[in-house]
Amino acid sequence: MALLEMKGIRKSFSGVPVLKGVDLTVEKGEIHALLGENGAGKSTLMNVLTGTIPCDGGSIRFDGQDLKNITVRKSEQLGIAFVHQELNLFNDLRVFENVFINREITGAFGKLNKKEMIRQSEELFERLGIKMDPKAMVSDLRTGDKQLLEISKALLTGAKLLILDEPTTSLNNDEVEHLFGMVKDLKNKGISFIFISHKMPEIFAYCDSYTVFRNGELIGSGKIADTTPPEVTKLMVGHAEEAGSYEKRKTGDTVLKLENLSGKGFKNISFEVKKGEIIGLTGLQGCGSSELLQCLFGITAPIEGTLEINGKPVKSGSVHKAMKAGVGLLPANRKETSVIPDMSLVENMYLAEQTLSAGKFHINKKAETEKYNRYQKQLNIKAESGNSPIVSLSGGNQQKVFIARWLNTDANILLFDNPTQGIDVGAKEEIYKLILSLANEGKTVLVNTLEIPELQKVADKCLIFYEGQIAGTLSHEEIEEHTVMMMSTGLTETGAKKNDNEVTVK
Amino acid sequence: MKNKSKTNMIGKIWRGYSFIFVFFIIFLVYALTSSGFTWSATMNIFRHSAVIGIVALGMGLVCLTGEIDLSAGSTLAFVSGFSVVIFNMTNGNIAATLIFSLVMGALLGLINGILVGVVKMPSFIVTLATMLIYRSFAQYFCQHISKKLIGGGSSVYKMTSGLAGYDSMYGFGNGKLATLPIVGIVLILFTVLFVYITNDTKFGKKIYAVGSSEKGAFMSGINVRLMKMMSFVIMGVMIGAAAFLWICMNGSSDPATTGNSYEMYAIAAVVLGGIAMSGGKGKMIGVLFGSLSYTVIDKIIIALKMDSLINNAIKGIILILVILIQVAGPQIKEKFMTSKE
Repeated sequence: MALLEMKGIRKSFSGVPVLKGVDLTVEKGEIHALLGENGAGKSTLMNVLTGTIPCDGGSIRFDGQDLKNITVRKSEQLGIAFVHQELNLFNDLRVFENVFINREITGAFGKLNKKEMIRQSEELFERLGIKMDPKAMVSDLRTGDKQLLEISKALLTGAKLLILDEPTTSLNNDEVEHLFGMVKDLKNKGISFIFISHKMPEIFAYCDSYTVFRNGELIGSGKIADTTPPEVTKLMVGHAEEAGSYEKRKTGDTVLKLENLSGKGFKNISFEVKKGEIIGLTGLQGCGSSELLQCLFGITAPIEGTLEINGKPVKSGSVHKAMKAGVGLLPANRKETSVIPDMSLVENMYLAEQTLSAGKFHINKKAETEKYNRYQKQLNIKAESGNSPIVSLSGGNQQKVFIARWLNTDANILLFDNPTQGIDVGAKEEIYKLILSLANEGKTVLVNTLEIPELQKVADKCLIFYEGQIAGTLSHEEIEEHTVMMMSTGLTETGAKKNDNEVTVK
Repeated sequence: MKNKSKTNMIGKIWRGYSFIFVFFIIFLVYALTSSGFTWSATMNIFRHSAVIGIVALGMGLVCLTGEIDLSAGSTLAFVSGFSVVIFNMTNGNIAATLIFSLVMGALLGLINGILVGVVKMPSFIVTLATMLIYRSFAQYFCQHISKKLIGGGSSVYKMTSGLAGYDSMYGFGNGKLATLPIVGIVLILFTVLFVYITNDTKFGKKIYAVGSSEKGAFMSGINVRLMKMMSFVIMGVMIGAAAFLWICMNGSSDPATTGNSYEMYAIAAVVLGGIAMSGGKGKMIGVLFGSLSYTVIDKIIIALKMDSLINNAIKGIILILVILIQVAGPQIKEKFMTSKE
């Protein structure tokens, strides 16, 4: 009998269906890979299962029990544990304190019984075959050990089903092996795992069965032994979408030249970009492409290699210098890194330009408003007036204000880091069109995104990153989800796979 | 719907300009209780708000970046004390005294600014430490330098009244211009300057941006460290100016009591003026009303012939009440709205 049976699960967010009646069945004592691209609905389904969000319809059966109105507490009691991608550990506490957080063993007057907690932690670690000192500070542990600690914590409460959400992104190969060694042991003891990952080699090495989602629908499921990586990849990406309004442009001189550039998170990157080109960067989370953009914008300094902007070598990491050289970065995580929440649209727009023209002390409000009105028309920003607070706009319109911010600095090299994050489909479409028209006007654009259909719409050339290095370069015609997925999961021979052990990317 | 937007409007004005309401309510109480309510008594409010108001303006700028300066009162004692020494040393040279006040203030602010802005130490800790240091220096040197330099007193820095510039400085500190106290005019001029800087200059907008979202400001190319340092330096200059006014008004500075708790009054004025301690929000004009409100409370207590020791209790209670309304008001409203549905 299956341990978990989810049937016909539906969920919509403000009218947009995210899960359209999906099924998931996990047997007792198996490692089940849950696969799909970003936004396929994997996380939503897991959140439904753990009770973080309620579902709109469908039935869930766990361990022979029908589940209704699940709460986080209830799912924990039943034995479902979610090991999140970002670890929920207290770095400033010791290992055993983390294990027993909120279920401390106490004696008289609520005094903590540390000895007992340490003893039980030791016992737990022994049972799981982990070498870890319960008295160590969590902040001193390696990332891999933290992952193991998180899993052990879940097992203390007698979890029967563990959800591992991309547990290996921050681990090196040895740590991955150790992790899966433990997972296999537990599996033999009858504990089940749902394993969310994008890395094909791991999935095929360790998992028993799989389920693939695409756009909130169940696409396929079965035994790993009966399939191949290309087949699964094909299921994940589906078929190519309709062509966009892409057409070849004339490009100018080289404006950006990287030679063996290494820095925090990336290594030996060399490529050239011509004026008016749109270069796509892609790869899995933490593959180094985002870090490269940050380095180009002067947030981090390169360690090795040379970087030339408009024919002039650029050395030190300084945002101001990068801006002066004509570089603008639209950073990922718009809410944290772009939005100045207490300010209006106009103020959010002119802020960056003003650091370049700080010599002129006075703000000419009328001129700034006129500038804003011009950009509002050009970028089609939907807002009542320039004096509206930035937080009153939708994500897509906010993003346009920030594009205006960089156009306003006269940046001719625009770096877009995940520009469509958290933006609805219609607005995404508009952002692509904007990118194309900006390139037509002679701006050079670098777009880093995890979404391959985006690249098919805009990129002249696509660089695929794997573990901090360029695993492959595709021309516009060659960009195809299947190939990109293979390269970015390290499946191709030509890629950087053999360098696995050299670079550890955070 | 229309009704709702109307109440929203009033709510908006209350949130944005509550300091004016608060000031007028307090002022009204003063007008009703005071038997000697006259034009010149009212103008005297400006005189007594001058020093604390100027300190509070600087504090407002620091708070807008999301930091705090606890050393304000001690800096005032330090700068005013040593300005007296300079005055006595230079045989009453007014220009030298003024320049020293401003530069010394800036230097002490720079120390805070470097530690907070550049080294990134928490401002609460840094300025707590310099609060202890600056006042200790002021008291120590008062005992250990030549009596002649501190005007012959024992534990007070005293300006020698026989020196050349004494009369003009004292006149400046206590004189009136068209019935307005001169120091009050200085306060108003500084307020105008600060309102201009925060509203209409690139520097001012950067201050707001840093306080609103440090990361966002950094990603827009703003030098966050420099901005924080600059806000402390300007704070120092303002305290320097306040110190100069102080010695002009009093002719002396007592290192043990001058500026005592002024950092707290300044912070209270800033908060009452509607500036968020987390930074990025609020108006400079509010700081003026905040400091005036506190001076009026002093006057009410005198008018009612109450013991002045109750002073701080009343100031504290008013601060809690105003913030309570600001914080609890929206929560109560929200509860009311949901229960209605």
